[in-house]
Amino acid sequence: MLRLEIAARENWQQMAKDYGFLFHTMYGEPYWDETAYYQFTLEQIERDLEAPTEEIHQMCLHIVDQVANNDELLRKFAIPEAYWDAVLTSWQQKEPSLYSRLDFVYDGKSPAKLLENNADTPTSLYESGFWQWLWLENNVDKRVLSTRADQFNSLQEKLVNQFKVIANYYQISYMHFACCKDTAEDRGTVQYLQDCAKEAGLTTYFVYIEDIGLGANGEFTDLQDNVISHCFKLYPWEFMQRDEFGPYAISSNTAWVEPIWKTILSNKALLPSLWESFKGHPNLLPAFFESDKHLLDLPEHSNSKWVKKPLYSREGANIEVFSKTSTDLSSDGPYGEEGFIYQAFTPLPKYNNNYTLIGSWLVNDQAAGISVREDASPITQDMSRYLPHIIL
Amino acid sequence: METNQANQKRSRFIDLAKMRKSFALKPLAVGVAGIMLSACSGSREEAIVFTNLDECTDTFPDMQAKCEIAYQQALEEAARTAPKYNTASDCEHEFGANQCRQYSSGGGSFFMPLMAGYMIGNMMSPRPYYQPMFTSYSRSSPYRYRWTTADGMDIGDISKRNHRVRSGAFEKKPAVTRTISRGGFGSSVRAKSNWGSSRSKGWGG
Repeated sequence: MLRLEIAARENWQQMAKDYGFLFHTMYGEPYWDETAYYQFTLEQIERDLEAPTEEIHQMCLHIVDQVANNDELLRKFAIPEAYWDAVLTSWQQKEPSLYSRLDFVYDGKSPAKLLENNADTPTSLYESGFWQWLWLENNVDKRVLSTRADQFNSLQEKLVNQFKVIANYYQISYMHFACCKDTAEDRGTVQYLQDCAKEAGLTTYFVYIEDIGLGANGEFTDLQDNVISHCFKLYPWEFMQRDEFGPYAISSNTAWVEPIWKTILSNKALLPSLWESFKGHPNLLPAFFESDKHLLDLPEHSNSKWVKKPLYSREGANIEVFSKTSTDLSSDGPYGEEGFIYQAFTPLPKYNNNYTLIGSWLVNDQAAGISVREDASPITQDMSRYLPHIIL
Repeated sequence: METNQANQKRSRFIDLAKMRKSFALKPLAVGVAGIMLSACSGSREEAIVFTNLDECTDTFPDMQAKCEIAYQQALEEAARTAPKYNTASDCEHEFGANQCRQYSSGGGSFFMPLMAGYMIGNMMSPRPYYQPMFTSYSRSSPYRYRWTTADGMDIGDISKRNHRVRSGAFEKKPAVTRTISRGGFGSSVRAKSNWGSSRSKGWGG
């Protein structure tokens, strides 16, 4: 695993415009950064990332199965009781999932360690599935990179296939797509998924989350009063469940992607649950529920630093890093009212003064590629930069 | 885009033309018509519009069953997908006097246009396509004397029976209902984004 510098493609900003990649620069700072790339060996990809990603996903599904059937655990996961039946039904009916992203600490040598599972509303999908793919094609065509260079990135191919699976499961020929207003990044991500769905033969309709209406018979509607029968939503389940329309998300019989059983996986309570069930697994970090905080004082953890994370949080908000003697780092944010978990702290590897985080994608249950993000801070937040990668 | 590895780890092929969101080369003169033309080009197929069941069975005496099935299913589709209005006058404003009927369902009653005809495609196949047709007699409507689908696709003049339609014309449409309220999603986002000075980006992770 190397970080190598490379010249940016001369015309990349114009290409970004042509392809509708409108969020490569945010708040005046570069988000997409092609002045460097990461190089992995095939072994690093297959042994250290691809295989663990699929294995961890299966372990996660094991946890979903435990939690969906257990009131005590559902309460521990802070899932509102009104949704318990829906979670269980959705899981029992195996409602199809589209995608997830596992975030790993990985330095090219030691086993990748799972930081969290973005199973409900992962973004940076377009940059991963399409834009870094195009970057590689362009640089190989110009012989800037070796013709043997490859990339761990079959995302787009797999997304199109999974949309076919979903269309077949629900026997549908059209589908709605939704995200919140005022975010170019989310709209771009959803547009990309619409493109993939179209490639799979589906007609797509778009509606903003805030514009969704309630119809005369309790169904959801778009701005044209079309009934939303099947909907991809880039809006977290934990928010939906706490919104005014939350109860209708179930009673309307709308089929959602991601399905509601994913609310178990996108929850940080997953991390201590995984540790309880698979303690010592090489790709897991020790993690504990708040109620088990005394376990942090066990002798085996005496040298550990810990990260305190809210059950529900996004983009590195409300994180605190501490050891027995001090608080090292903390980040502000609006999360935490539902409780916290503790996870052993493992520093992100540093390349050229940047902290590097690996996102490993799943489409349904297949590993589908990686994304690499760099941040100046050891807690990756939403101002991190996205860098492409190759396999050579 | 050539591939030379058997175990390639990346997508084999992405149709770049389909991924483009704007034209690569700007034409000298861009008219709306030009764009519409390219957006609408693509295969077309023959379709026949009948205003009632008899017209169909008279035309195809040997295919009575197909005519009946298509008619019944078009009626069901019409109820499901036609635009819905709160009042008769709203509906008649769009479709003309006496062109609307009241419709009751669990959540109350509303008004929608009558099915004015039904369109059949691929009549010779075992399963023809069908689509309910609407038209307007209202001076204020762009659909006046035009055959249109439930979602407003203009099929052609109502005085003509045979039409060449583009291949999306028979696609199944979403159901349409009357919306009672909006804005019940998104409050959690607003609550979180009130925090701090620089709410940024989206809500994905």
